[in-house]
Amino acid sequence: MKARNAQNIQLPRRRFLKQGALLTSGLAVGFHWSSAAVAATAPQDDFEPNAWVRVLPDGTVKLVVHKHDSGTGTRTALAACVAEELEVDPMAVEVITPENPFFEAYMHPLWHVFSTGGSTSISLEYDRLRQAGAMAREMLVAAAAARWGLAPADCRARDGRVHHDVSGRTAGYGELTEAAAKLPAPEAVRLKAPSEFRYIGKLRHKRDALEKVSGRLRYSIDVELPGMLVAVVLRAPVIDARVEGLDTTAALQVPGVRQVIRVPARPDVLGGNQEGVAVLADDYWSAQQGREVLQLRWSQSAFAEFDSDALPGLFAAAIEDPARPLVRSHEAGDVDGAWPLAARLLEADYGMPYKAQNPLEPVCVTAELADGRLSFWGGVQVPSFAREAARTICGLGEEQVVIHELISGGSFGAREAKYWLMEAAYLAQQAGKPVKLMNSREDEVRALFGHAATLHRLKGALDADGGLSALRLRALSPASGEQWEPGYDDRPDQMDYSTTEAISAWDFAYHTPHLDLGWVRYETGVPTGWYRSVSFIPNVFAVESFMDELAQAAGRDPLDFRLAHMQERPRHVRVLQEAAELAGWGRPLPQGTALGLATHQGYGSYVAVVARLSRQPGGLRVERLSCVVDCGLAVSPGGVEEQIYGGLMWGLGHALFDRIDIRQGAVVQSNFHDYRVARMSDMPEIEIRILEGDPDKPGGVGELTSPPVAPAIANAIQRLTGQRLRETPLDLGLKA
Amino acid sequence: MIRIQVNGENHELGQELASMPLLWVLRDKLKLKGTKFGCGKGLCGACTVHFNGRPARACQLPVSAAAGGEIRTIEGLSADGDHPLQRAWVAEDVPQCGYCQSGQLMSAAALLASGKPLNDDAIRNAMSGNICRCGTYGRINRAIKRAAAEGGLA
Ligand code: FES
Ligand code: FES
Repeated sequence: MKARNAQNIQLPRRRFLKQGALLTSGLAVGFHWSSAAVAATAPQDDFEPNAWVRVLPDGTVKLVVHKHDSGTGTRTALAACVAEELEVDPMAVEVITPENPFFEAYMHPLWHVFSTGGSTSISLEYDRLRQAGAMAREMLVAAAAARWGLAPADCRARDGRVHHDVSGRTAGYGELTEAAAKLPAPEAVRLKAPSEFRYIGKLRHKRDALEKVSGRLRYSIDVELPGMLVAVVLRAPVIDARVEGLDTTAALQVPGVRQVIRVPARPDVLGGNQEGVAVLADDYWSAQQGREVLQLRWSQSAFAEFDSDALPGLFAAAIEDPARPLVRSHEAGDVDGAWPLAARLLEADYGMPYKAQNPLEPVCVTAELADGRLSFWGGVQVPSFAREAARTICGLGEEQVVIHELISGGSFGAREAKYWLMEAAYLAQQAGKPVKLMNSREDEVRALFGHAATLHRLKGALDADGGLSALRLRALSPASGEQWEPGYDDRPDQMDYSTTEAISAWDFAYHTPHLDLGWVRYETGVPTGWYRSVSFIPNVFAVESFMDELAQAAGRDPLDFRLAHMQERPRHVRVLQEAAELAGWGRPLPQGTALGLATHQGYGSYVAVVARLSRQPGGLRVERLSCVVDCGLAVSPGGVEEQIYGGLMWGLGHALFDRIDIRQGAVVQSNFHDYRVARMSDMPEIEIRILEGDPDKPGGVGELTSPPVAPAIANAIQRLTGQRLRETPLDLGLKA
Repeated sequence: MIRIQVNGENHELGQELASMPLLWVLRDKLKLKGTKFGCGKGLCGACTVHFNGRPARACQLPVSAAAGGEIRTIEGLSADGDHPLQRAWVAEDVPQCGYCQSGQLMSAAALLASGKPLNDDAIRNAMSGNICRCGTYGRINRAIKRAAAEGGLA
């Protein structure tokens, strides 16, 4: 084991001890622990040294995973970080969700909210979780050593026991809980060296697989409570319309329908719900039948004339309008001075439409307001929003919020919206019964709070040697859906960092003497939200398409051109080179075939994608995606591989399918027949190579690999057909 | 009375449920929650069950139309999750969120049972009605081949 210096060990120990004290003194009720039952029954001699470890006297080890698992494997990977240091098998221990999701230690270290997202679960928690496991281990070892009258250094922990090898003495963790609980927490802990890892970097399986393949795992949609009603909500078809007339007679006559409740819009809450009418019934089908016969009249809305087809024109007119708010994200030199000196100037616009997340399990949550407490059952990815719903709807504080957290059937940002938590809280309050709120697929497609439509304008100057001498980029988009980061509105630069991913000083890939990159804020008023890979998608699509256009104008190879403009980016260079090698870049290709390249970095990881396209009788076909990733340490290599694959599939979706249209203020698409998503038959051959990266630092992977796919495909289309497509979805049919 | 047989067990339902899709009868009346809802329009495959041995979308089958036939759901695929496909699914670590997997497995089980030669085309044809938003298609392909190779024509 290698000693870490003390400043790496920043466990807020006192908070944990306080938490433990609360538990055993019975003061827990109504303070930090929202579930009094949990606190009251917590046995006295459990060993609970910190927010992540629980050891029971019978030897049961429970690890707390405080991040939502929407299929990304966080329950396995985060538990493994603790388990590795605690010397227990992460697949064998119990994994639980926090008894109190609002305990300070569970707060997102960057965003200061209780949330899961941004591909940060492993990269930001890795050290903390290992320290938590190591702290518990050292206390258990110290307890055993004290019992045996030995020095802790002569004892070691392994597989849930402490051993003294010389004497052959051994004690299970369960036997040591009482003594360990009385010990002071160590000032500093020793972490294992990567070469000593038994689980980290070696995990090939996830927890819960058997429950998932046998249909036994319970999701939000499977929750049943006594007396529960199922609610579906008919939401304003036109954005911001309000209910003007409502006749519930027919709906209430549908067998099984119990109540019809108007759900008022909450425009006062950022990300608040649209107006709707809920039908509550004994089961989903009856509620759905009732919703179909609701008679209601909607008010006029300011969006009645809104048409997303008009946006590209409006955006193009606005993007250089000096009256629009412009926030620069990266500046160097003097672009305006550089234009007249250019050998060649290039300009291009790139557009992307609205998109919906469409997790396969439509959003669903059960809420109950009883005994002054608001309880949620479901995939509550952002506990902070549950808390906000309790406060704004029911006037309750966080100590009155209970969350029964379940794995969800995908999120991709859909479960980072809050409208459904607010609706569920409202319905639970009004109905006086537990209410399970369910979205249909149509509701999900039309839910809004998806990915914003964007326009990017780039201008580049090439010098006489074919080098990039100046680059200007304007990324037009709204601010992100929820500006909940504390202090957002007070930021002097008024920057929304979630709109400038990959185009900021710290993460823009390319070097050129004159640079001017910036975000143009344009609010259409259409509610948008979080979406897997957020602004990386349009930013990378624009930059990586334009790099190819520049290379072509300069008569240079797109790979060489990129490499020539990277400085001090060895990891970036390496993924590019390896992807080129993997895909056979520069080698002869069969007739009617072309390769396109794109790259990207984010979340401490690097990726390059090469798309191979061919001409077929009906149009072009994406034959293969070759992808190379450097994500530093892969805590769970199996999990990393599947996130890479999933991201590539999402990127294929952006390139070929994803598109929400809004006509006369209403979303046009409704289900998977007109909102296409990738099926097995759409998948090209996928080649993935994961490089051995820095063994000390895991990077994020959940949102890494989708952004470069669309530009790689667009670049291949150009090389195959001579046509440059600058708007997604790209049309492969035209170009045969 | 509507009589249906699910996983070998007989159930009687009131006539008022005649038009309710089998999916909601399974989930809400028989409390068999393994069969999932994804689209309600026969487009995603999350609700796939076997009806007389063939894959069927339970959301598109009024329960009255299922009367008299044999219905098998994920709960009836094996006693302990040990159908060769389920074992292969675990071995390949197929599920991400897992939500689509009941339907994927029922489609795959029908494919295996059909005795058709298993190649990438056959797998793609049989499985492309089942959407997975997490992106498990590559592993599904591998797991089907693994189950077949391990003699799993159960
Ligand atoms: S729910 Fe039946 S096919 Fe989608
Ligand atoms: S595993 Fe999540 S939808 Fe397939």
